[in-house]
Amino acid sequence: MPALRTSTPSRAKHPASAAAPRPGGYAGKLLRVNLTTGKIWSEPWSPEDMRELIGGVGLGARILYREVPAHVHWDHPENRLVLATGPLAGLPVWGTGGLTVVTRGAGTDGPTSTQANGFFGANLKYSGYDAIIVQGVSRKWVYLHIHDDVVELRDASHLLGKDTWQTQDLLSAEYGLSGHQLSVYSIGPAGEHLVRFAAIQGDYGHVASKNGCGAVMGKKKLKAVAIVRGTHGLAAADPRGLVQAADDIAHDLQTDPTARSLYEYGTLPGVVNLHKLGMLPIKNYTTNVSPVDLGPWEARRLREGFDHRGHQCNACGMHHCHMQVIRSGPHTGTLVDEPEYEGWSGAGWTIGATDPQAVSWLNTELDRAGLDVNEFGWLCGWVMECVEKGYITRAQLGFDLRWGDVEGARKLVDLIVHRRGLGAVLAEGVKRAAAKLGPPARDCAVYTLKGAVPRGHDHRARWHEMLDTITSGTSTLETGNPVHPTEVGVPARVDPFDGVAVAKMVAGLRGRLGFEDSLGICIFTTRTRLENLCRALGAATGWYYTVDEAIRFGRRTGAILRACSLRCGITPATEYPSTRYASIPVDGPAKGQSIVEQWEKMLDTWYAEVGYDRKTGKPLPATCKALGAEWLAKELWGRSR
Amino acid sequence: MGTVAVEVVAWVTKFVGGDGSGRKVFDEPIVPGATVRSVLEGLSTRYPELHAALWEKRELGEHIEVLVNDAVLGIAHTLESPLRPGDRLALLGQFTGG
Repeated sequence: MPALRTSTPSRAKHPASAAAPRPGGYAGKLLRVNLTTGKIWSEPWSPEDMRELIGGVGLGARILYREVPAHVHWDHPENRLVLATGPLAGLPVWGTGGLTVVTRGAGTDGPTSTQANGFFGANLKYSGYDAIIVQGVSRKWVYLHIHDDVVELRDASHLLGKDTWQTQDLLSAEYGLSGHQLSVYSIGPAGEHLVRFAAIQGDYGHVASKNGCGAVMGKKKLKAVAIVRGTHGLAAADPRGLVQAADDIAHDLQTDPTARSLYEYGTLPGVVNLHKLGMLPIKNYTTNVSPVDLGPWEARRLREGFDHRGHQCNACGMHHCHMQVIRSGPHTGTLVDEPEYEGWSGAGWTIGATDPQAVSWLNTELDRAGLDVNEFGWLCGWVMECVEKGYITRAQLGFDLRWGDVEGARKLVDLIVHRRGLGAVLAEGVKRAAAKLGPPARDCAVYTLKGAVPRGHDHRARWHEMLDTITSGTSTLETGNPVHPTEVGVPARVDPFDGVAVAKMVAGLRGRLGFEDSLGICIFTTRTRLENLCRALGAATGWYYTVDEAIRFGRRTGAILRACSLRCGITPATEYPSTRYASIPVDGPAKGQSIVEQWEKMLDTWYAEVGYDRKTGKPLPATCKALGAEWLAKELWGRSR
Repeated sequence: MGTVAVEVVAWVTKFVGGDGSGRKVFDEPIVPGATVRSVLEGLSTRYPELHAALWEKRELGEHIEVLVNDAVLGIAHTLESPLRPGDRLALLGQFTGG
């Protein structure tokens, strides 16, 4: 395959300081790619920046803030696509193949931070880079090939139209490499056709899914990034300390009463648990009561319902990721990726599908097409409800689409990714499609006024995630699920329908997720005490790193993303759920609970607790100062403040 | 004297001798003055793993969600709320994924 551009990346523009040695765990260089000019170069980043930004979303947020001004929308050539790892990636700690994608996304035209795992992070680090920063737009479709110091943009015309698994198959065959020897992250037809909720998928089942990052990649005509496992060394500052911390993390994951379920079954227990709490979204929020026995949906039976085997990410000992073979139905024998909870939800319960075999198949079809399973679920469920109520006709769709019709849902995928007929409207995502159809169809759609959608839960019974989703600087979870809340002084439990208590909890837990997403490690292997993660980071880098510093770092990153978000025009005026998203459950454990009545009070509390200005949305000067970001206060509020 | 049904769901059965699937239902006898706390303590005293997962000192820890008559504890009931014969408790594992 001839290379369009062949390059050993040019030398550093700014030689690293001789006085400050590079911290352990880092490759030490950032790889820059300009698709417009074809120029590829590397640049060092200083030990001071490493300490301040760590990696992942911390690094990505800074780049987005510095290099993507207001006029650079998601589809502008100067938009940046940051594919970042972190200091733990590639080291012998569980789940350290981590990739964080940061960009200005197509969904909200605002900041995005979305994670995936597999081997990307490890392979990139072993090639000598901590992150890839892509800018510009290629004239022809290309893919980025990285093999140690050889970095090339190669012709991708033979990959066009291929789904993400086919793309990895083809490149693996060309290279004669498979498994962890070649990590391929690519876009499917959805990204090629700029679907606003297109994802970037890699290593057979790992998806950076949020806010249309796949459409950004598609706009740049970058089909894939393929990284051969490099041969560069990667050293921890304190190898023995790192192994001790890694052992403690692994022990915690295997013995902690909560994390142990993740260790054994990944996110599979979610369906039964969340149903019992009224948090399982069934048929586009029209009910919370399952029409079927949930016995087959218990984690153990769900896994044993398939022929399966482990499909672990870099250095991981969890029994989390699995491949499975469909046992029954029209797709018997098909190899698929075991869905995460989000997949069972988005490709299943949200659209009224309750056959695990069919749902698992559809979930992988979505990964292969390169669609975010969450947004597809909300979109497909909405269309199904609209068909049932006569708001969308069979003639508009070209086929019938009833609740639970997985084969019909697959037809809808084709319609969307190729933007055919009504698919051109649906490809714009839930909010825009709902606006286009108008009421009464619009009022059945689940979305945020920012233009994002929730994860695969019914947030009407999970208020903390609704508040988090809507106030986040990235339009998806910024605080995430509570993990050992008492470690940071937050109560172990609060009344889930006390808006003020919920808002205080969300605000109090902020910071942890931003820290985790900067390390180059999987979110599921960080379900341990923060202290252990800080010890691992300290042993890797040689820093003395505290829990307080980790929280401050995560909150600082959140403040920077908030500033980016405001610059994109995403203001507090958009911090509301859609009519259906905020509706009152009609049945199930959360029946009658109304978040709308408490919403303003929740926002008031959240803003006061996090130290942002309620009117403008800006982080207050005192907040910036407390977070170690006086520079941000000056830029947001002017020097006089 | 009557009983209160304590339903231990799926993953939490691991802490009461199960395999992490299905359900185990314990019909716990109650006496006048029985509370959510006294019933839970009565059960967890017999199962050390459940006790460790359920309590942090004398308060509920972060690992297990407690439902009283299908509603999360803290809405209509507290640990000190009295229970009547026929009331139902459920113990669910906390879910950290998704």
